[in-house]
Amino acid sequence: MSSLFGNFFANWDRYRKSIEDPGYRDYENMWAMAIDLGSCIGCNACSTACYAENNLATVGEDRFLARQSMGWMRVERYWDEPSLGASDPDSQERGGSFLPMMCQQCNAAPCEPVCPVGATYNNEGGLNAQIYNRCIGSRYCANNCPYRVRYFNFYSYDKDAWPAPLNRQLNPDISVRDKGVMEKCTFCIQRIRAAKDDAAREGRALRDGDVTTACQQTCPTQAIVFGDLQDPESRVRKAWDAHQVRLGTTEQKKTNPALRGYRVFEELNTESCVIYLERVRDTDV
Amino acid sequence: MPPPTMRRKKIPWLPIIMVLGAIGAVLVIGAQYTDRGLRDAAPRAKGANVAGAITPTDTFKGDLIVQPIAFSHKIHAKDNGINCLYCHTYARRSKVAGIPPTSKCMGCHTVIATDKPEIIKLTKMWENRTPPLWKKINDLPDFVHFSHEKHLRRFLFDNAGQPVERADQVCAMCHGDVKNMTVDVKSKPLTMGFCTRCHEANKGPSSCTACHK
Ligand code: SF4
Ligand code: SF4
Repeated sequence: MSSLFGNFFANWDRYRKSIEDPGYRDYENMWAMAIDLGSCIGCNACSTACYAENNLATVGEDRFLARQSMGWMRVERYWDEPSLGASDPDSQERGGSFLPMMCQQCNAAPCEPVCPVGATYNNEGGLNAQIYNRCIGSRYCANNCPYRVRYFNFYSYDKDAWPAPLNRQLNPDISVRDKGVMEKCTFCIQRIRAAKDDAAREGRALRDGDVTTACQQTCPTQAIVFGDLQDPESRVRKAWDAHQVRLGTTEQKKTNPALRGYRVFEELNTESCVIYLERVRDTDV
Repeated sequence: MPPPTMRRKKIPWLPIIMVLGAIGAVLVIGAQYTDRGLRDAAPRAKGANVAGAITPTDTFKGDLIVQPIAFSHKIHAKDNGINCLYCHTYARRSKVAGIPPTSKCMGCHTVIATDKPEIIKLTKMWENRTPPLWKKINDLPDFVHFSHEKHLRRFLFDNAGQPVERADQVCAMCHGDVKNMTVDVKSKPLTMGFCTRCHEANKGPSSCTACHK
């Protein structure tokens, strides 16, 4: 009995969440991604596409070096992992490994409860939404995000980033953020909204493949798969199932080397919606 | 004395009641967490006609904006009974309602009222290929996603028994009594409060991302 209550209190957060969001059943969709690091060649096309789609400001080298870049998606490079042979002089020859990193759309997002004005919240699509009009720029969320994927507008970039006539290339479905506002990857929510509107107009349910994010659309090796986890036939659900990653777990049991799926910082119980499939090296096989 | 196997076991009621009570309390408290305002409202009831829809009552007094041609909505929509969707034809299939091209005006005005001064002005513009630059009256901020098509579908096309001739009632919910205006003026505030009060009353989505972009 005491161990039962012990467990109960140790897992209180999870228990309370399971009452709040009973299996996420009240969500309309559960948008998720699967990124195959074995296919990613580190070309940065995804982050470039994100700049174009989401009206991201180019800030220039100085501000970039001051860590004020505004790119919502960055391709991280790892050269020095021991498992990749960091001490091995050939390691550089064989190349680094790449990991595209953007907001993981956590379901138990650490960035949400710290926002003093509720400008960031979990919406009906399982997305971590950011409402720019409500944001007061306290930057608490950026400090609480374990993935470091929130970006703050230290300046108004609109004039420098899109001098006329470049302002004509701005995407009208996304607002241009101003100084003092936090922003981050939205899983291209404007495309989700448009696809839902189209489906409603045609009087049908949303189909897998109706929504493509800009990064997914651009990736030359199709390393990124995006879709609705609630749809058992969607490609992303199949990728999650194939690698036995589920929501509500904090650890992947790797019973089989073919199971390459993992979520970054899973042990923090952020319940993120992006899985990565480990890269398999020639040295591993 | 009955044999030991026949003796009924005493049921420990007190702990059972305590455990059940505890579970009940947790469920009751927990249930309050599920009813959070940020979630979408329950699926709306279909079939109510626009008279049954709860229309916003707020009003706003907009400035009179001078248009290149003093177009009268009253003459067209009320006196001659032209449906709003005849000219603002994109409203039923896209985000924007659209301003009709001059060719649509000329479709009638090559023969109708050709002697009126405003129509002479229009004909001249048509012949010079300099279409009138209409001024925008109801302008939403750039961070708002608003779709005419979805609202028309909700209040007009998805409403069983709602005749399409009553489109003007639906348009009037946000645009005011344009039918009786000579030149259109903004007569509803179109603020977030105005939108959300109507969304609450008519069970529209209440998720921030449904409208904010
Ligand atoms: S576009 Fe595809 S291959 Fe290129 S960096 Fe992004 S995920 Fe990797
Ligand atoms: S990855 Fe960071 S910004 Fe995105 S939901 Fe999680 S905590 Fe928030």
